[in-house]
Parts: sequence; structure tokens; C-alpha cells
Amino acid sequence: MQRVEMEISSLPISASLRGKLISGGYTCLSFLFSVSPSDIARDLKISENEALEILRVASQRRGSERSNGTSSIVNGAQSAWEMLNEEESLGRITTSCSELDDILGGGISCKEVTEIGGVPGIGKTQLGIQLAVNVQIPMDYGGLQGKAIYIDTEGSFMVERALQIAEACFEDMREYHGFLKRDLQACQVNMQPKDFLENIFYFRVCSYTEQIAVVNYLEKFISEHKDVKVVIIDSVTFHFRQDFDDMALRTRLLGGMALKLMKLAKKFTLAVILLNQVTTKYTDGQYQLALALGDSWSHACTNRVILYWNCNERYAYIDKSPSVRSAAAPYSVTGRGIRSSVSNSKRVKMM
Amino acid sequence: MDQTRSPHLMKPEDLLQQLNPTPTQKCTIGCPILDRLLNGGIPCNSITELVAESGCGKTQISLQLLLSAQLPTSLGGLSGSSLYLFSESPFPIRRLVQLSSAFPTLNNPLEKILTHPLHSAQHLFDVLSELDSLLLSREFSSDPPIKLIVIDSIAALFRYEFENNARDLKQRSGLFFRISSKLKEQARRFGLAVVVINQVVDVVDSSDGLRIGNWTYLYSSERKVCAALGLSWANCVNTRLFLTRHEERIGQEVIGDDHCVRTQTRRFIRVAFAPHLPDSYCEFVISREKVFGLER
Repeated sequence: MQRVEMEISSLPISASLRGKLISGGYTCLSFLFSVSPSDIARDLKISENEALEILRVASQRRGSERSNGTSSIVNGAQSAWEMLNEEESLGRITTSCSELDDILGGGISCKEVTEIGGVPGIGKTQLGIQLAVNVQIPMDYGGLQGKAIYIDTEGSFMVERALQIAEACFEDMREYHGFLKRDLQACQVNMQPKDFLENIFYFRVCSYTEQIAVVNYLEKFISEHKDVKVVIIDSVTFHFRQDFDDMALRTRLLGGMALKLMKLAKKFTLAVILLNQVTTKYTDGQYQLALALGDSWSHACTNRVILYWNCNERYAYIDKSPSVRSAAAPYSVTGRGIRSSVSNSKRVKMM
Repeated sequence: MDQTRSPHLMKPEDLLQQLNPTPTQKCTIGCPILDRLLNGGIPCNSITELVAESGCGKTQISLQLLLSAQLPTSLGGLSGSSLYLFSESPFPIRRLVQLSSAFPTLNNPLEKILTHPLHSAQHLFDVLSELDSLLLSREFSSDPPIKLIVIDSIAALFRYEFENNARDLKQRSGLFFRISSKLKEQARRFGLAVVVINQVVDVVDSSDGLRIGNWTYLYSSERKVCAALGLSWANCVNTRLFLTRHEERIGQEVIGDDHCVRTQTRRFIRVAFAPHLPDSYCEFVISREKVFGLER
């Protein structure tokens, strides 16, 4: 018992935090790893930043203990703290709209499957192309410096549009570079807009059998191209909306595909983006908009984002997410790609 | 032969395509101003829809396309023949002959326009299914390959055949996706430009109209209209262009007791949605010789 208390009391944190921890019952280091930072913050009435700091310091302490031979008992097990740490280091893919990034918790999450749905013309393909470009932003510019796989089932991917979006991204990077003016030699933008196209592995599929074949092939392909950080399917829906005689078969095929994609996301720490269509659904005597592919499909994705019109503005709404709360944010589709909504940036400027 | 052409030999790695920084091939509309609105014309490898009420010029534009597709690629054409599938008889052959005079460089253009009537939506699907062998054989024959398909009109095929009940609607939407999937596959395999013509419906209650593309409804001939065939069909096309017409008073004449109002029809083409085009529009004119855009 004496030794346990020593663990906490020897942590290099402020005396008041240490006191709060011990009086709050956190007498043993291992107690800290079974709770989330927000739990600690709530329990001890401290800020989340302070809670995070405690966890950081405690984890360092444990790390050094581990190197002394006390490694975890179960091989492959991961503590919540390790997961949090890993998630922060994974990075996210920016959407090029800061309001949208904010509600997503900093951008599109890697290691997860995110479904994005909306009516024709709302900007699904635009967002898909934007992410295929943005995943390539070099690490010097806060990006992932990865590559993209784009599976086009509808034929809406237009090379000239991808090039336009890449050019704007390239210009933004150069501007940022000029703004920083540091270490000119090391930090030159040594990417050209057309290089962005070369880093997009583009598959055009014309039937659901081709779609499933490509998804099954991805594991092999990505293990040979480990720098792939995003897989985009535009759209996951199209080939599954022709009348299937055997609806049970459709459900099985879709379920199998979703499972494969989730495994890929985890195994290769990459983001999977599934663009979906919307359809009208007859419930309670009236027609309502709902994402296509039915109720069984709605469990297939970790995150779901709905794109919709609000008056004359495009909005994105977080419909499902394990980590961020439901929220909506405006965005716009411009010549340069996805950007903050014009009226929104005006509001920001006025303040 | 390219392996991707034969579904039986399909390997997933064959579906990987190199992206070149050259823009998607386009088919000129036969007018530089209209081409500029569309960034070169009607794109190949995908489906472009023309939506309009009757009298706006959708058939006129598609007839002109049947001719301009035959122009060499150096002049913005596709150096190909064209196929016109029509549901509303009779085929406007006289108008086509009239428009062909604006293409003096083409040698006997009518010979390179194939036509086929359509009786029903299912018939359209059957015709498309039988088309593969024709498209393939033309690629290896001395005749120019087919590079443009126009379907005039998809709405007419679907509007009266299906009842407004859940079973029929489900069947209808299944057929939409089958037709669209077949067309897109052919567009991709043979590098075709595909133009599908659609009609409009009146928007009765604009407050709960569904916004698809850059607006919920447009005015044409003082009517509030939107595209026919609803949300499912909208998911089946890649680019949607909308044509509208407006009667404008340009003067008044008084002859005896009669007040005679002189009007002029103005026509506009506007992008409803497209993966490669912003919300933009252009005024156009239909003359005896041709369809052309006006500088703003």
C-alpha cells in the first residue's frame, strides 16, 4: 500500500493536482489508465487539459517502468491511453473547410470508415476529390503525405476538376510557405499540381461484381502501397440500386464489403470514405429523405455525415460518431474546391 | 484487345487507370459560346442530361450534336458517328437536314446518323443490351465508330408506364439504375458522350420542394418547373443541364381597335449540377440554320 501511494506522490505534477488525485481515490497509477481524461476532469473538478497532462506524465512514468521489464501481460492489448496517444499521432485529413474540420474533431479520422451522403449536386464528389488531394499535403505543411485510392462507380470523377483542386491546394501551400519564410531550402514545395494526380490510384468500376472484386483486392494492393492513407468509394450505392432479385444477397454482399473496409481501415491506419446517395422513404404517412441501402447498412460505418441544403447554403451534419457530438456546419463548393462558407467567413470577419 | 472490355476476363488490377493531366474528351455543341459554358462541350465517359419543357430547344440541341460529333477532334468533335434513340415519332428528319447545312465540311453527314425508335423503358434497356456488339463491330469496321448516343426522351418512356404505388415505384427506380448503369458502362468502354433528354413537371408547393442541384425550381414560360422522374433518376446522371424559355414583350402595335403585343422568346441554358462545372448560364438562340449562344 505504501508503495502504491508512492507511485502517485512521486509523479512530477503540481502539488495541488497530486493532492486532488489522491483524495479523489486515484491512489494507484493503473487506476488512471482505465478512465478517460474527461472522467478524471469531472471527478476531480479540474480542466481537461490538466487531466491530459496528468495522463501524459503518468504514461511516461509507466513507459520507463515497462522498459525495466514490467511489460503488459496480454500481448497485443492496448490501453485506452495508448489508443488516445496513437489517435493523436495518426493525424486527420483536412476537408479544406475549417468549420467542417472542427465539427469532425479536426478533420476526417484515419483508421475509421466515414459515410457521407446527400442529394445530387450537394458536393459529395467534390468532397471526395478534395480528400484525395488533401491526403497528399506534405508533413511539413501539417498533412499526412499519403496517397489516395479513388474507386469511381458512377463516372463523375473528372480529371480537370481534380487538377483544379490540386492547383488551388498547391497555391495555398506556396502561400503558407511564403508566409512562414523559414528554412527556404528545406521547405520548398517540391510537388507539382500534376503530381497530385499521380498519387491517386483511380479504379473505374462498372458493376457491383467489379466493385466487390476491387474491394477484395485492396488488401493486397495496399500492402504493396503502404503510403495509401485514404480509400474513397464514389458512390458505394450506385451498383446496388438496380433491382436485386435476391435482397438477402444484396444485404450479405454489402455487409461483407463493409466488414472488409473496416478491417482495412484498422490494419493500415487509413481513412475509408463511402459516398452514399439519398432516397425518399415512406414512413408514418409521409415521404422523408434517408440514406440509401436500407437499415441494415446503417450499422456499417463508424461515422456518418449528411450533406444538405439550408436555404442557399450547403451544410454538413454529423449524424453518427463515437467521438464527436452531433453538430452542423456550413461549407461551400468553390472553383478552388471545398472551402468555408462565404457568408460564414464574412461573419467571422465582422466579429 | 483491352482486357477491361471483356467482363469474363476481368481482373481487379485491370480496372486501375492512370490519371493523365489532360481534360476529359468533350463533344462540341457546334458553337464556341455554348462550348465555353460547358468547358468544351458534352463530356465523354459519362451521362449528360438536358431537361426542359417542350419548345425550349432540347431536340434542336441534340440534333445539332448528332452532326457536331462527326467533326474531327481537331475541331472539337469526336470523329464519330452518332446514334439517336427516340420515343416521340416522327423523327424530325427535315429539321436535321436544315441544320446539316451549317456543317459544310461534313461529307454526307446523314449517313453517319443511326436512328432507332423506342416503345417502352424495358425496350430501351433491351436495345442498349444489344448495342454492345454493334459498338464493338464499328470500332473495327471502316465506318467511323459510334461516339455519341442521344436518348430523346427518357421521361416519355417512364411517365405513363408506371403507377404511383410502392411496388411500381420500386420497379421503376430499379429500371432507372439498370439503364443508367448500362449507359455508363458503354460510355466508359467506348469513350461515348451520352445525352439523355428529360421533361419537366410543375412545382405545385414550392415550400417543400426538394432542392436538387443549384435550385429547387426554375421559371420557364411563367411556370415553376423542376425535372421529371424525381430523386432516384437524378442519382443516375452525372451532369444536368436545364433549358428555359421566357416570352418577353418587345413592343405594342395598335391596329384599329386591336392591341397587338409583340413578343420575343428568350432561351437560356443553365447548369443544374455537374462534377466539373460551376453554377452558370448562357442565353441561346435557335435560328433556321443553327443553335448558338449569345455573349453576355
